[in-house]
Amino acid sequence: MSVPTIPPDRISVPGTTGERAAHVELRLAADLTWVPVARAVAAELAMRADFDLDAIADFRLAVDEACASMMQLAAPGSHVTCRFQVDADELQVQVSTLSARADALGRQSFGWQLLTALTDAADASVAPPSVGHAGRELRIDLVKRRAPTVGAR
Amino acid sequence: MTSTRRHTTGDYDHLEPLFAEFASLPEDDERRHELRERLVTEHLPVAQHIARRFAHRGEPPEDLTQVATVGLINAVDRFDPERGTDFLSFAVPTITGEVRKYFRDCSWAVRVPRRLKELHLSISGATAELSQQFGRAPTPSELAGHLGMTNEDVYEGLQASNAYNSSSLDEMLLDDAESSMTLGDALGEEDVDLAGVENREALRPLLARLPERERHIVALRFFGNLTQTQIAKRVGISQMHVSRLLAKTLAHLREGLLGSPR
Repeated sequence: MSVPTIPPDRISVPGTTGERAAHVELRLAADLTWVPVARAVAAELAMRADFDLDAIADFRLAVDEACASMMQLAAPGSHVTCRFQVDADELQVQVSTLSARADALGRQSFGWQLLTALTDAADASVAPPSVGHAGRELRIDLVKRRAPTVGAR
Repeated sequence: MTSTRRHTTGDYDHLEPLFAEFASLPEDDERRHELRERLVTEHLPVAQHIARRFAHRGEPPEDLTQVATVGLINAVDRFDPERGTDFLSFAVPTITGEVRKYFRDCSWAVRVPRRLKELHLSISGATAELSQQFGRAPTPSELAGHLGMTNEDVYEGLQASNAYNSSSLDEMLLDDAESSMTLGDALGEEDVDLAGVENREALRPLLARLPERERHIVALRFFGNLTQTQIAKRVGISQMHVSRLLAKTLAHLREGLLGSPR
């Protein structure tokens, strides 16, 4: 225990000014090939935010699942965007894409069961149709909260 | 000697007694050479099986078979029947290790420098220790504190673990070598919780086709609500391994669900 730990509010995440919140955005072609990139970023952010290893693994899996399902729902040629937000006590991610299948985010699905099991809050929504876009924006919002770290430090 | 065939083990049972004889003979004995050749030749399917498990990772299958065979020869030479384990329990990790080493040394796909590999090992060890102590998984900074490293070192080690793990290199150790200890032995109940899944009609046949261990891990994680660390403890494998198996199993289920007609 000789090395001082970094308090959560001083975590420096690449691409930010270092204090408190960090925002990282990924824009990926809607192709399953790129799921590992999203997964890696998710794990990296959770790790640097000093979440415990279980939470890191869960967040990684959840982002993997959300991205993979979005990529399969995405309209041809569109993108999947992952917006990560790292706060002192929680990790948030919004995964979104344009899709022609607005009904597709079934909450009864196995994928949805996974997302709710892996995160502290999961929400799926469909944006209202907008002019000039054939599809509608599907979003999955996930939150993973920092577990209390009793018994350490 | 049991009469039940236990996966691959049963096919090689008749060779086990030869190891004692092999080990007892002097280096230059003609009979020793014969035995060595026979032991290697007859166990070749094991090496081939392992080589196949590493296929499709960009290395030619013939090369993998060769490397696995080298591993098998090493295993035959190094196996000590006195230690009370059967040959396969020793050979499978040895052969796997050889193939792994090949990937590590020769293949860009899983090239992990030795330093990172050692880092990975320290981190795995510390993770197990701290999980035990805290009753939950440690955070990277706790690992750093425990190991007297910087956070950056731990990050690097964890990243290396991910890179290493992404190829599921450890997997077969359990699939083959420990197949005699099934999860069913460790866990009493089966699938009760899975009944609650909404789309079980589609899911059930997929789950049923999963290897027993994977099925139980999925059930424990998603329907029993255990953390990966708790599952690891219960199942007797590392948290990283649980993580890896879950990721792989979920990908598999996803593919299956998407592929099946609704």
